[in-house]
Amino acid sequence: MVSMHKIKHFPLLVYTIAVKNIKMKYKNSALGFVWSLLQPLAYLLIFIMVFKNAFANVERYSLYALVGLVFWTFFNSTINQMLLAIIQNASVLKTMALPKLLFPFSAIVAEVITFLFSLIPFFGLMIFFGLRLSPEFILLVPAILVFVLFTFGLGLTLCTLNVFFRDIGLLWGTLSPALFYFTPIAYSSALIPEKYAFVLQFNPLVHYITLMRCILYDNVWPSAQLWFITIAIAVGFVAIGMGVYYKLKNNFVSFY
Amino acid sequence: MAETVIAVNNLYVDFFIQNQAINSFKDLVLSFGFVSPFQRKTILKGVTLEIQRGECFALMGKNGSGKSTLLRTLAGIITPTAGTIEVKGRIAPMLAIGSGLELELSGYDNIKIIATLMGMSRKGVVEAISFVESFSELAKSDLQMQVKRYSAGMIARLGFSISVAQTPDILIVDEALSVGDIGFQEKCAQRINEIKQAGCSIIYVSHSLTELKRICTHGACLVDGKIALVGEIDKVAAYYESLFHSL
Repeated sequence: MVSMHKIKHFPLLVYTIAVKNIKMKYKNSALGFVWSLLQPLAYLLIFIMVFKNAFANVERYSLYALVGLVFWTFFNSTINQMLLAIIQNASVLKTMALPKLLFPFSAIVAEVITFLFSLIPFFGLMIFFGLRLSPEFILLVPAILVFVLFTFGLGLTLCTLNVFFRDIGLLWGTLSPALFYFTPIAYSSALIPEKYAFVLQFNPLVHYITLMRCILYDNVWPSAQLWFITIAIAVGFVAIGMGVYYKLKNNFVSFY
Repeated sequence: MAETVIAVNNLYVDFFIQNQAINSFKDLVLSFGFVSPFQRKTILKGVTLEIQRGECFALMGKNGSGKSTLLRTLAGIITPTAGTIEVKGRIAPMLAIGSGLELELSGYDNIKIIATLMGMSRKGVVEAISFVESFSELAKSDLQMQVKRYSAGMIARLGFSISVAQTPDILIVDEALSVGDIGFQEKCAQRINEIKQAGCSIIYVSHSLTELKRICTHGACLVDGKIALVGEIDKVAAYYESLFHSL
């Protein structure tokens, strides 16, 4: 049933819906795009005031926390947008023959565009906090790509299940603050007693934040093991997301 | 000889729905896994239908008989459980006027988005904009305004104009003509006629028999997910009416 025309048309559809999403997100707000910078900055300010002295052993703490916060903000905001992507467009999907993947896919494209623009001012701030420019920065490109894939896989899984059980969206609202504190964003994983440290390994986000800190904070080449873990998790989540989506997409229509 | 543009063969459509006995998480837990939270509901039960090029085909049936499900399946929105559908040409479904309109955005933004969703290229979108400008009779200043400030009639004008902006091979209309004021309703009927004159096939769902008889030559009546009668419009319309009088 999928014709060549539809495949060729898909990029234009994604572009149109992503631009619409960005417009809608900042519609009727005076500060618009600045909001996507203010939220992590507010957290950063709190962290610096509350934790900087507590974690005095973490050198350049502001930079350490900011790197974690920037990527957490992208992750959290993308999952929130993707969760609602299909439900919110139910009326369109009921009346037009469109690939349902269009909406979650466009949601993450819009978030990636916003994120890349937000990196420009954040980069300036990171330099202010003592970021050392180094050749490892080129690795940000594959690192971000792998992180985006992971986020897409998880987002697509949650988005699909949310059509059938709205509990998923509510559950995420409860779980995401817990996940935030379960990830070493404000604190250093070195503070966790050694015998419990393995627990953190089960949180996939930890590996991505470590990857980003290798490049932006420690200025070292991430280990082959870390690359392997992050790529494997990303591929795994994309496979789960696509699997769940293709298994269930034909049943969406009676649940909108 | 007439050419078949839509051939539907022994079509079944199932819906996957929540089990009526399980309305809450509590019910699910208390059933101890003996009752599945989902069940299948069969909406279309073996529909076979042929529609010829240039034909204007009426679809009748009581509420809940499966008309909209059949239209959506033809339009490719619902995947059939069993059976085949062969479609020659491009289908333009007009299932609900104004669906997909984003109230926060301007009329122009909405034309661009919906026309793209309908499958138009960048060039097609530009043509659609000039079509909507003239057909909807909405002023440029109106189209620059956010749609949330439109009246219901203006929204209907915008929605209908976008959906008839291009001439498809097959047009599917689900009770769409009762929009706007009298002047606009006439214009809509005219545009449907134009599309028909251009050699396009139309599948039309309506509860207004006079309208169906005016536009269509043939029709079918659905009863409980099955085609009860296919044939000339007058016969099918009489049969449809008899469904209510025998009650």
